[in-house]
Amino acid sequence: MDQVTARIAAVLTEKFDVPAEQVTDRVSFRELDLDSLSIVELYVTLQEEWGVPLDAEAADADTTVGQLVDDVRKLLDGRRPGGD
Amino acid sequence: MPRTAVVGIGSCLPARSVDNEEVIAEGRLDSSDEWIRRRTGIHRRRRAAPGTATGDLAVYAAAAAIESADAAPDFVLLATTTPDHPCPATAPAVAHRLGLPRVPALDLAAVCSGFLYALATADALVRAGACRRPLVIGADTYSTIVDPADRDTAALFGDGAGAVLLAAAEDGAPGALRAADLGSDGGGAALITVAAGGSRQPDRQRQDPDAHWFRMRGRSVYGQAVRHLTDSAGRALAAAGWRPADLGAFVAHQANQRILDSVADRLGLPPAVRFGNLRELGNTAAASIPLVLADDGPQRALAPGTPTLLTAFGGGLTWASVALTWPAATPVRRTLP
Repeated sequence: MDQVTARIAAVLTEKFDVPAEQVTDRVSFRELDLDSLSIVELYVTLQEEWGVPLDAEAADADTTVGQLVDDVRKLLDGRRPGGD
Repeated sequence: MPRTAVVGIGSCLPARSVDNEEVIAEGRLDSSDEWIRRRTGIHRRRRAAPGTATGDLAVYAAAAAIESADAAPDFVLLATTTPDHPCPATAPAVAHRLGLPRVPALDLAAVCSGFLYALATADALVRAGACRRPLVIGADTYSTIVDPADRDTAALFGDGAGAVLLAAAEDGAPGALRAADLGSDGGGAALITVAAGGSRQPDRQRQDPDAHWFRMRGRSVYGQAVRHLTDSAGRALAAAGWRPADLGAFVAHQANQRILDSVADRLGLPPAVRFGNLRELGNTAAASIPLVLADDGPQRALAPGTPTLLTAFGGGLTWASVALTWPAATPVRRTLP
């Protein structure tokens, strides 16, 4: 597991009481029992942590952990010197 | 340094309590009591009787604050989003009904941050020598602008009014204001609106009835509220020279329990110092913070002089925080049939 995935998994288990074994790339927020406000709270927390403009408006209950990981990675890559 | 202190506290609530089941039935909402409680923390709210206006609640809360202080105001500031009329302002009529002839009186519009905006403004007026005992009222009747069929907002709001009387005080006096932080971001104006009825969209024939209701983009507001409340509270705390651990009371605008918990957690404040009335009263807009100040719970739990932080976020977008010590005043509470 890479650093971004590991950190998101840690936030989901520590802050939202999601059982660690449930966190996979393909699982959706709905399957993790996160309602819309929990999704926003998750995004705000990750925004603060990495200082990236994650858009919670673009996420919904069907968004998967894998999609969130991809979004964070793209934002972090875009920020690196020499990135696009 | 000369300070301004809260020397009187008053409140007025409509008698009628409306529970979640009733809100759901009225609006034929696809919702449940359990869903509303889990999403918002709200169990019931008060609702003004037909014919009761914001100014009526404001008059009784103000009279209660005057009785609590046993002193007459010489300036009236009324924070509201639901004035009695688009014109004139509600504050002069309130002052008149309170028997305060010729006092300066004006409304202040900063939506849910309105009471703290008015409190900080009144503090500055006293310190500038413009008045000696300003009355600051937060009053709203959102039942007049909320769409009963809008699942996103119908269950959130309640009606009410709260008021405080301020007076010049020595540094260290109970109730003395120590610092304020105010801010706004009009880039987020579209997140919380009543679109029509102003000069931008007069719609005098009401051809677009939907545009006259209060609307809120809840998820966007959640993120903005958490960020701005946390930042503003932090700035006011720093300006007061306090650390989070110094606080004995934290009173945030009663918008949504999940937002309140998120902000208090970010500030590192333990549950024992968090005070609110959301469960029983819902979001009472400009009235929410003074209604908590008038509440029995914190009044019994807190000694006068306890370091206290008030913080609010609302449409505009606006945010405001005030650091003060817990007042010595005994609140006077009124109920309106």
